[in-house]
Amino acid sequence: MLSVEQFLTLAAILFCIGLYGALTKRNIIIVLVSIELMLNAANINLLTFARFGLVPAINGQVFTLFAMTIAAAELAVGLAILIALYRNRNTSDVRDQDLMKW
Amino acid sequence: MFSGFAITGQSVAFFLISLFVIACGVLLLSLRKVMYMAMAIGGVFIGVAAVFLMLEAEFLAFIQVLLYAGAITIMLLFAIMLTRHDEVEMPQKLTAHPVWAAIGAAGLGFIVLWAVKFSGVKWPTPSAESPWQGEDNVKLIGESLFNQYVIPFELVSVVLIVALVGAITLAKKEEE
Amino acid sequence: MVEYAWLVPLFPLVAYLLLFVLGRRAQEGVVTAIAVLASLAAFVVSLMILSEVQANGPGAPYMFHWLTVGSYTLSMGYEVTALNAMMLAVVTFVSTLVFLFSKSYMKGDERFVVFYQYLSLFVFSMLGLVISPNLLQVYIFWELVGLCSFLLVGFWYYKPEAAAAAKKAFIVTRIGDVGLFIGIMLLFVATGTFDYAGVFQAVESKNFAIDWISPEAFITLVAILIFIGAIGKSAQFPLHTWLPDAMEGPTPVSALIHAATMVAAGVYLVARAFPIFAASETALTVIAVIGGITAIFAALIGLTQNDIKRVVAYSTVSQLGYMVMALGVSAYVASVFHLMTHAFFKALLFLAAGSVIHALHHNQDIRSMGGLWKKMPVTGWTFLIGALALSGIPPFAGFWSKDEILLGAYASGNTLLFVIGLIAAFCTAFYIFRVFFMTFTGEFRGDKDTWDHAHESGPVMTIPLVLLAIMALVSGLFNSPVTDYALADFLQAGGLHYGAHPEHVSWMPYVATLVALAGIGLAYLMYKTKSINPERLANGALRPLYNLSYNKFYVDEIYHYAIVLPVVWIGRILNFIDKWIVDGIVRLVGQGTYVGALGLKYAQNGQVQTYGLITVLGAVVLLGAAMYAIGGVR
Repeated sequence: MLSVEQFLTLAAILFCIGLYGALTKRNIIIVLVSIELMLNAANINLLTFARFGLVPAINGQVFTLFAMTIAAAELAVGLAILIALYRNRNTSDVRDQDLMKW
Repeated sequence: MFSGFAITGQSVAFFLISLFVIACGVLLLSLRKVMYMAMAIGGVFIGVAAVFLMLEAEFLAFIQVLLYAGAITIMLLFAIMLTRHDEVEMPQKLTAHPVWAAIGAAGLGFIVLWAVKFSGVKWPTPSAESPWQGEDNVKLIGESLFNQYVIPFELVSVVLIVALVGAITLAKKEEE
Repeated sequence: MVEYAWLVPLFPLVAYLLLFVLGRRAQEGVVTAIAVLASLAAFVVSLMILSEVQANGPGAPYMFHWLTVGSYTLSMGYEVTALNAMMLAVVTFVSTLVFLFSKSYMKGDERFVVFYQYLSLFVFSMLGLVISPNLLQVYIFWELVGLCSFLLVGFWYYKPEAAAAAKKAFIVTRIGDVGLFIGIMLLFVATGTFDYAGVFQAVESKNFAIDWISPEAFITLVAILIFIGAIGKSAQFPLHTWLPDAMEGPTPVSALIHAATMVAAGVYLVARAFPIFAASETALTVIAVIGGITAIFAALIGLTQNDIKRVVAYSTVSQLGYMVMALGVSAYVASVFHLMTHAFFKALLFLAAGSVIHALHHNQDIRSMGGLWKKMPVTGWTFLIGALALSGIPPFAGFWSKDEILLGAYASGNTLLFVIGLIAAFCTAFYIFRVFFMTFTGEFRGDKDTWDHAHESGPVMTIPLVLLAIMALVSGLFNSPVTDYALADFLQAGGLHYGAHPEHVSWMPYVATLVALAGIGLAYLMYKTKSINPERLANGALRPLYNLSYNKFYVDEIYHYAIVLPVVWIGRILNFIDKWIVDGIVRLVGQGTYVGALGLKYAQNGQVQTYGLITVLGAVVLLGAAMYAIGGVR
C-alpha cells in the first residue's frame, strides 16, 4: 500500500539535492538544472496531495501543469541569459558573475 | 519506522523508481563532466515521470517526458554545446561554502522529514481506489483548465510569449 | 478712497519686489526713482485717505476670511481709523524723504540696491502694521519690522560693531515680542478673536472665557504683556539698550527707525489697543511710571554722550518715554500728537546729523567737530530748527506736543511725573544744544584736511531737510489754539474719548518754555561762551554723576553680568553636555555601525550562491524555530 509519507520523503530528498546543487555547482547550466530539480520535487508534492489529500481533486494536477509551464519559460530565459553572458564574458562559471556587488 | 508497511508490487515499484531518481540526483551532484551531468538530469526527469504515473497523473507524466526529458534536456545539451561543452567541474576544494551548503540543505531536509514523519501529524489514509473513478485524466484536466482556470491559463500563455520574445532578444547577437 | 487703503503698503512692497528682481547691477538713479516714486505714491494715497477720513470719519474694517482652524476662524483685512490714517501719512511722508536722502548718503555703496530693498520692505511692514485690523496681523508685521531693523542696522555687517548691534537689536526687541505674543494668545484664548473690535468689546463687558483669573486682573495682565512688546519695540527702560547701539546702521536707517517705522510701532500699538489699557488702572500706572523713568533716564544719559547720533538716539528714547508716559496718564491725544511731531523733527535731526557725518567722512564724534555753520548753512539751519522743536520752544512743533503731555501729567495729579517731565525737558534742551554748539559753532577741532573737504550736501540731501524743517515748524499747529485743536477732534471722531485736551493751566506754557530756555542757556554758557568749563565740572564735584551718565548708568554692564554671563555659562555647560555626552552617544552609534560594516562588507561579495546560502541558512533557522515552537505540522 502506498502512503503519503513515501512521496513526501522522496520529494524532500529530491528538493535537498537540488538545493545543494544550486548552492554549490559552478556551471550556470547545472545550477539551472538544480533549480528544475527543486521544481520537480514541488510538483511531486502537489500531485501527492491531489491524489491522497484530505480532499482529492484535479486542481493539483492543473497547478502542476502551470508550474511546469512557468519552469519551462524560466529555463528558456535563463539559458538565453547564459548564452548572452557566455558571448560577452566567455565564461559560464557562476563565480565570475559577481558584478552586482557594486 | 515504516510501520504497517506492506510489500506489494506497487511499493516495490515505488522503491525502485525512488532509488533511480535519487541515484540520478546524486550522480548529478558528483559527476564532473557537464555533459554527463545533463544526462543524469534526464534520468531524474524520467524517474519523476514514473512517480507521476504512480500518482495517477497520466497526462502530466506524458508532459513530463515530453517537456522535461525531451525538450528541456535537449535544450540544455544545446546550451552546453554552445558554451564550453568540454568543461569539467573542478573538484571542489574543501572550503566553508560547500560545507555550509550541505549543512543548510541537510538541515532543511531533516526539518521537513521530521515534520512529515515524526511530528505526529496525521496524514489522511490513502484510499486504494482512485478518486477519479477511472475518468479520463486528460478530460478532467481539460475541463478544469477551461472552466475554472481560464484566466490563469491565458496569463500563462502571455508569460510564455513574453519569455519567448525575451529569450530571443537576450540571446540575439548584440550589434557592435 | 478708504477702501483702497491696502494700496498704501502695496506700493513699497512692489518697489521691494521690483528692486529684488532688478538685482545688484541696477543703476543707482533707477533704484532711487523706483523706491521714491513708490513711497511718494503711497504718501499721496495716504493723504487722500486722510482727507477722506477727516471729511467722513473712519469706516469699518475691511475683513476677509483667511483660514479656519478647528472652530476658530481667522480673518485678515485692513482698516482705516483716524489714528492710522494719520500714521500712514506720517510714515509715508518721512520715508519718502528718507529714501530721497539715502540716494546721496549711500552713493557708491556696493549694496545700494539691497539697501533700498530693505528700506522698502521696512516701510511696507510698518504700513502693514498700521492698517492691520487684528492683533495676529499686527504681530506678523511687528516681526517683519523687527526683521527689517535687524537687516538694516546690520547693513554694514562687515563692521563687527554693526553686526553686534544688529544682533542686540533683534534679541532685545525679541524679549519684548515674547511678552506681546503671550498677551495676544491669552487674549485669543479668552475672547476667541484677534480683532481689535471684538477684543475691545470683550474688555468692555469683562466677558472672558477664562476662569483662573478675575477679569480685572486678566485685563491688567494682558495689558502689561502687550506693553512689554511695546517696551521692546519702543526702547523703553529696561529694554532701551538696543536703540543707541542701533546707531551703527547707516544714518538714514536711524532716521527711519527713530522717526517713522520701528520705535513708533510700540507707541502706536499701545495707542491702538488703548481701550484695553484704559480698562486697567494698574496697567496705566505701570505704563506711566515706565515712561517717566525712560524719559528722565535717557535724558540724563544724553547729557554726556559724545557721538552725535547717540545723543539724538537717547533723545529718541527720552521722547518715547514722554509718549508712553502720556499714554499712562490717559493723555491719549497728546501722546499721538507727540508721536507725529516727533517723527518730523527727529527725522530732521537724524538726517541733518547724517548730512554732517557725510560731510566729515563718517566721523561722528562731536569733540572733533565745530564751526560747521560756515560750511553747511542749510544743514545748520535745519538742525537748529529740529533742535528748537525738540527742546520745545514755541512755536516749533515740539512745544505744542510736549506742552500737552506736561499738561496731561499735571492734570493726572501725579506731581512726580510732572516734575520728571520738566527735568527731562531741561536735559533735552541742554544736550541737543550742546550738540548744536559743539558741532556748528566755535572752531573746528578735527584735522585740517577734513575741514577743507567739508562742504554743504547736495540738493538731494538738503531738500528733505528743508521739507522736514517746515513740518517741524508747522506740524505743532495741527493741535494748537490756532487750528482749534483740530487733531484732537480728528482723533476723537474715531470714538476714542481719552484725554481730549486737559484743562489748560495758564502758567504751563511759560514754565515749559522757561525750562527749555534754561537748558539752552546752560548749554550756551558751557559750550559757546565757555563761561562755565564743562571739563572742570566733569572732573570736579560732579565726577561720579558724570561717570554714571557717561557710562549709561552701567545698564549694559549690569545686563552683561546679571544676564549675559550666566546665560553664556549655561550655554557652555550645555555645549559641553552636547559635545561630549549627546554627541558621544551619536558618535558611538556611528562608530559601532562603521565597525559592524567593516566586518559585514565581506559578506557582500557579489556571489549569488553565497547570498543564496545565507538565505537558506536563515530560512532553516527560522523554520526550525517555528517547527520547534508549534511542534510540527498540525
